Amino acid sequence: MPPQINRLVVLTLAIVGAYFAARAVLRPKSFGEYGWYRGDSLRELTALTVTYAGKAACADCHGELVEKMSQSKHRSIACESCHGANGEHAESPAITPKKITPPQFCLRCHQANPARPEKFPQVDKAEHFGEDKCTDCHQPHSPTDAPKK
Amino acid sequence: MNTHLINRRQAIGGLGKVLGGMAAIIHFHPCPAIAENALAPGPKKSVSSNTPPSPAAAQSLPNYDPTAHDWTMAIDVEKCIGCGLCVEACKQENKVIRQPFYFRTWIERYVIRKPEAGSSEMRGETVVDSPNGGMDGFPPSAVPPSEILKAFFVPKLCNHCKDSPCIQSCPVGATFDTPDGVVLVDPKYCIGCGFCIQACPYGCRFLNPVTRTAEKCTLCYHRITRGLNPACVEVCPTSARFFGDLKDPVKAEPLRRFVSEHKVQVLKPHLGTHPKLLYAGLDKEVR
Repeated sequence: MPPQINRLVVLTLAIVGAYFAARAVLRPKSFGEYGWYRGDSLRELTALTVTYAGKAACADCHGELVEKMSQSKHRSIACESCHGANGEHAESPAITPKKITPPQFCLRCHQANPARPEKFPQVDKAEHFGEDKCTDCHQPHSPTDAPKK
Repeated sequence: MNTHLINRRQAIGGLGKVLGGMAAIIHFHPCPAIAENALAPGPKKSVSSNTPPSPAAAQSLPNYDPTAHDWTMAIDVEKCIGCGLCVEACKQENKVIRQPFYFRTWIERYVIRKPEAGSSEMRGETVVDSPNGGMDGFPPSAVPPSEILKAFFVPKLCNHCKDSPCIQSCPVGATFDTPDGVVLVDPKYCIGCGFCIQACPYGCRFLNPVTRTAEKCTLCYHRITRGLNPACVEVCPTSARFFGDLKDPVKAEPLRRFVSEHKVQVLKPHLGTHPKLLYAGLDKEVR
């Protein structure tokens, strides 16, 4: 073979070889497991800690209360909607959840607002109860029942 | 005068032969460890530690097969009360930066004014606001109640498009859609160029100022792979958000019922992104 062809062949092989060498070293092992990305990135994303434990976890210990709520008007509300993220509390019950402060909290949902759906129960604080606490008349876990005295 | 031991031609030729030989060893040798050692003498981690599967990551998907699920979310706009619990939950669950402008989900308030007196229009100007993403609730609107024709809240999040502009625009392949129908970002690949942020027609992405990588809703991928609902769905007090697995007849049931009972639509259908996020009760003003 003429030397110039030889050189071309060697150069081509070198470039192709360099490509495969770089690919073998640089390509992550899990690349292409599910698609054109690292399969490990899925696993890394799932490794985050769960902050909100979920209603099912609450029901493990507070089953009675969860059951009572499921009969009430507040049935669609998760425990952590009001009580806040309690993943830590679910893991180790010694960590106590923080207190909620009505009426500011109740009004987060029930403050009258023209953008809220008409059927949704809304109140104007001054008109409805003045300075009293919501819990004087309403039980958060079953709002239509009479309050505990 | 040639002062070098070998000339340039010989050097290039020799280099080519060495590289070709190495490539052949790596590509055809049955034992990858030998190939790696041949290429990388010395501490192996210098080249091959690109993405070692960490023990925590390996254990975190014990019984989860991404190909066996298909996650979808639907939102009933008529149920949203704008309490902002979803925004708060998202920030806490995903450790999103607690400043305005960084939201993986947020709530918009649409206030449509009455038409001006004597005008032949059906409706007046539309005012959209989202104070701190709606995280602290909504103060009274700038439009006085007497001038409001109608008003409503619209929760927003990543639409998890089937044909995502963000995936197409990413120059390094850092964003992708998973077999279970979630659009995700690989922060180790993301170079923070911001193309995807500009490409997203729904404004669902932002650049994390700390990591300098693009960030977005993951549908709480770490929760759904453990059988939990996404945080926003979990805390929504009015069940305005529905979430389900279309490949699981039991978990898909609430979604299927929702779709059969409502007239559902997607945002910006004319763009052909085919969002997976469904909305019921949208007004024409919602973009």
